Amino acid sequence: MPATQEISENLIRENINRAIGEVFKTMLGRQADLCVLTDQTNCWPPIPVDGVSNIPQIVGTVGFLGDVNGLIYLYLDVPFARLATCQMLGMTEQEIDESGDEVINDAIGELTNMTVGSFKNGLSDAGFPCRLTIPTILRGSNFSIEPIAEVQRFIYKFQSAGQSIVTDILIKIGE
Amino acid sequence: MRNKILTVDDSKTVRIIVRKAFKAFDCEILEAANGVEGLAIAAKEMPDLILLDVTMPVMDGVEMLTKIKSDPQLKGIPIMMLTAEGGKDNVLKVAKIGVRDYIVKPFKEDVLLEKAGRIIELKPLTDSKGKARSIFDPATLLVVEDKPAIVQQIQEGLKTSPWKVHGVTSQAEAVDFCAKTPPDLIMISLSLPEDAAFALFRLIRTNVKTKYTPVFGLVVKTETGAQQQAQTVGFTTVITKPIDISELESKVAKAMNLDTSQRYFTTEGGVLIMRVPENCSTSITAEISTYLKPKLSEAVDAGHNKAVIDVHQLRSLHMGVIKLLMQAMQTSRDLGVHFTLVGNAHIIAECKGFEDTRTWAFFDTIEEAKASLTKVPAPAPAMANATP
Repeated sequence: MPATQEISENLIRENINRAIGEVFKTMLGRQADLCVLTDQTNCWPPIPVDGVSNIPQIVGTVGFLGDVNGLIYLYLDVPFARLATCQMLGMTEQEIDESGDEVINDAIGELTNMTVGSFKNGLSDAGFPCRLTIPTILRGSNFSIEPIAEVQRFIYKFQSAGQSIVTDILIKIGE
Repeated sequence: MRNKILTVDDSKTVRIIVRKAFKAFDCEILEAANGVEGLAIAAKEMPDLILLDVTMPVMDGVEMLTKIKSDPQLKGIPIMMLTAEGGKDNVLKVAKIGVRDYIVKPFKEDVLLEKAGRIIELKPLTDSKGKARSIFDPATLLVVEDKPAIVQQIQEGLKTSPWKVHGVTSQAEAVDFCAKTPPDLIMISLSLPEDAAFALFRLIRTNVKTKYTPVFGLVVKTETGAQQQAQTVGFTTVITKPIDISELESKVAKAMNLDTSQRYFTTEGGVLIMRVPENCSTSITAEISTYLKPKLSEAVDAGHNKAVIDVHQLRSLHMGVIKLLMQAMQTSRDLGVHFTLVGNAHIIAECKGFEDTRTWAFFDTIEEAKASLTKVPAPAPAMANATP
């Protein structure tokens, strides 16, 4: 059995920090800063965005396949997701409400797509070429997502003008 | 004919953002959610540009691109990738198939517009009814001039207009200003150091948001070389110093294609009043002349057949004004409009001195002129269709 290879946490952190910063700045005009978490290993996913797991969440997911395989979950609470959609599309909250949840789902899906795209482009340039999968959206509260395979897992929290963003990265070197 | 831009992306968000980016330009946006739809729409509509995502269900962007490039009917359509799939290997792979440009998401609208503008001509959208903006509408004028007194002179001179005049002193400041708030008109001092005026002009013309913005050169009257150079490279016009504010105002209005007719033509109690201003320069007589027939025709169309030509503000007659007045009177006769003249003692005396104007009769006030027209019968109403 080949020795398990791992990607350095440094490489993961640098790329996700750059990706989140770039996407939120370019598409929403918001700064997003990485928070320092004291305990990652026993984090209950999702990390409650404000300490209360019952707040409804929207989670965008995009995968990547190639020399590295993985998934990134991007968590936002529903009010922030609405706000982000308004900013991205230049629409008012009323217009968003009239259009329905589909608009928000699509916007968060695309935000996730751009974030994971930027992240994996960094991995590709570092010698781990891979391609993206299609986004999916999960909505709800008080749930957890657990990988079933042996993977590396990295959870990061970002703050953007009082709003929280959580990225849950599951990654494995391809065989 | 309007340019057609086809955006192929499974994300409705991206399609909305693209549509919003191009909304200030005269182009039609077509949408497709995957490669299959994209091919069908491309074959039917023959767009001028395709913006293509890579990761899509049903048929991805690489497959659609390959099919387009192998179709003799479609292979000439320029394609720009707009995708989260970056990385050197991906970009090279796609570039080999044949694309005009490649934008990696996230993207700024400005970048999208600039790159699209290099492939197709993006013309600003005018009012959908083709109605020109009026002299009373606000506008932003940018003056790039390192001499504060000139900026102040222009601001002071135009302060009664609804135009906001902003002054900057350098090329860099001008570029920043245009990036944040594309002005409606730009004036650049041709004496900026190190040929900055011409470098700035080139930058303005290559930016898709200011490509069609009128640009005036400001220069001392005797600098004929700089004036010539400005005209050669394509400045809209040159304003010579010392600046004649009324001339500047007239040229600004003309360059911005403003409807200035309300300055000279009003309707009062069913009578069209044409007012000739005190300082009636050549450009102003030309300006009034262009509105004569349309305004008189408009009045006749509205059921008015009376006009007062008011020159009481004029200080003196010159050939340009005489020609204008003769044109006004002839056009009125041609359209069946009864007219009278209002003047002042000086103008009346000057008219006596010319062969062509000797017999002109003037009233002292508009009220007297209007009163004399009340004896004129109203135009006959249009005939209704006869019913059997």
